Amino acid sequence: MAKLILKYEDRVLKEVPVATGIVKIGRTPDNTVVIDNPAVSSHHARIFRDADNFILEDLQSTNGTLVNGQLVSRHTLKNGDAIGIGKHTLVFQRADKEEVAAAESGPSAEEPVLPELGGTVFLDTKAQRDLMAKITAQAAEQKAAPGAAPVPKAAAMVQPAAAARVGVLAVLAGKADQSEYRLEAATSIIGKSDTATIKLKGWFKPKVAATITRKGETYVITPLGGSPQVNKQPLKDRYELKDDDILEISGLTLQFSLKG
Amino acid sequence: MRLRVGAATDVGQKRSLNEDAYASNPARGLFVVCDGMGGAAAGEVASQMAIETIQSYLNGTPPSGKPGGDTGGYMERTVRLAEAIRASNRAIYERAQEDRKKAGMGTTVVGAWIGDSIASIAHVGDSRAYLWHQQKLEPITEDHSLVQAQVKAGLLRADQVEESKQRSVLLRALGQEPSVEVDVSEIPLRPGDYLLLCSDGLTRVVTDAGLARAIDTLREPQRICDYLIETANHNGGPDNITVVVVYVAGTFWQEVWNWLRG
Repeated sequence: MAKLILKYEDRVLKEVPVATGIVKIGRTPDNTVVIDNPAVSSHHARIFRDADNFILEDLQSTNGTLVNGQLVSRHTLKNGDAIGIGKHTLVFQRADKEEVAAAESGPSAEEPVLPELGGTVFLDTKAQRDLMAKITAQAAEQKAAPGAAPVPKAAAMVQPAAAARVGVLAVLAGKADQSEYRLEAATSIIGKSDTATIKLKGWFKPKVAATITRKGETYVITPLGGSPQVNKQPLKDRYELKDDDILEISGLTLQFSLKG
Repeated sequence: MRLRVGAATDVGQKRSLNEDAYASNPARGLFVVCDGMGGAAAGEVASQMAIETIQSYLNGTPPSGKPGGDTGGYMERTVRLAEAIRASNRAIYERAQEDRKKAGMGTTVVGAWIGDSIASIAHVGDSRAYLWHQQKLEPITEDHSLVQAQVKAGLLRADQVEESKQRSVLLRALGQEPSVEVDVSEIPLRPGDYLLLCSDGLTRVVTDAGLARAIDTLREPQRICDYLIETANHNGGPDNITVVVVYVAGTFWQEVWNWLRG
């Protein structure tokens, strides 16, 4: 059996049972819990049951809904949660045995506790923030500790965006509409295609001769048509471009370099 | 560029409903897999809504000119695919708000839109995309799941993921918030490549090596899909299983060459 205790500055105004139906909270009389206060939206929030959980949902109210002081849009209620709506507080109480036991033992410091469910579940915003903060903090701790595990690769690869250099293809020979091309995009196309960065002109030129994909300062060229060459070697498959590589493609000779 | 396509979905061994959904449209080069969640058939509604809204959004006339705002250096097709996914997120979110029975419904999504030899890939959640290139399987997407975040932070080893109690907790899904962040990437496709999209009902019970072996041995997209569904069911089929396989066919002579080499 679950209930809500409506309070105004420590004064209990009333108790509302929460069963299977939907509990609507708002200023207008059609709500289950009416809070007549200008800070409360006409339909402010609602609580409904989803399997074994009670879910609180803010109905895009003007002033928002808080749970234990944090703004939420959607929240799975736990015993003792204090829902703040305007200056009023609704305390959620649920007297299930397991629920009380869980609340007393408290969450383990080691691992975030989440309900074990069969199906896929979505972590709501607040819980997500808390968990992610915990994960980040733990990772930082591990890194700081002497003799700790090596820094995870993903973290080591993160570089400040400002320091990133951009790949440039300078035209050494052949007809092109620019003397050099800055490869700012995630994918740059060399070909006849309308979307090409480096446009090839002529009847027999391929629509897409090659693409250059960028990941940070790594540029990988993938041959897709024609017979491109890098440093006089035929390009058979993907190739990571290095400074001063000479690229020959459909009558164009281009030199690659990374520039700041 | 010619594409050969296979697709299959199955309820699995443990569930009574199939809440996965997919779209396979070779003519448009558009492929989408969604894995719905939420009780009382709501997950089914969410995944179906995502499939439909994404397709109708992309079938609509594109806004004239270049897409406005910061495109992050991505191609127009990539930007539009991400927009379509965000539009479907809004649609599902709004439906969930209106209908109490649908409250909390959501879905994952992984989509590929192929054109000009480049696949625009976008995803939210733990449905995945892989590229099979030169005999190797490469993951394209990174799950938006709690366990993946823990692995990335160095708090969980990759081999512990399956045993984690929080295996199914997603950090991102469609329909949960008014707006959603969509991850995108652009993958050049060469003749002989395979693109594989799937729900976690497959990857939970078939390893990456198993996926690679199926592609390498069977080669024909529909046979790969059917075999993978069978394998997932054989391995317990704990969840709904969906897989879409796209083969990038070359010219006639390239095909002959590949056949001779294979």
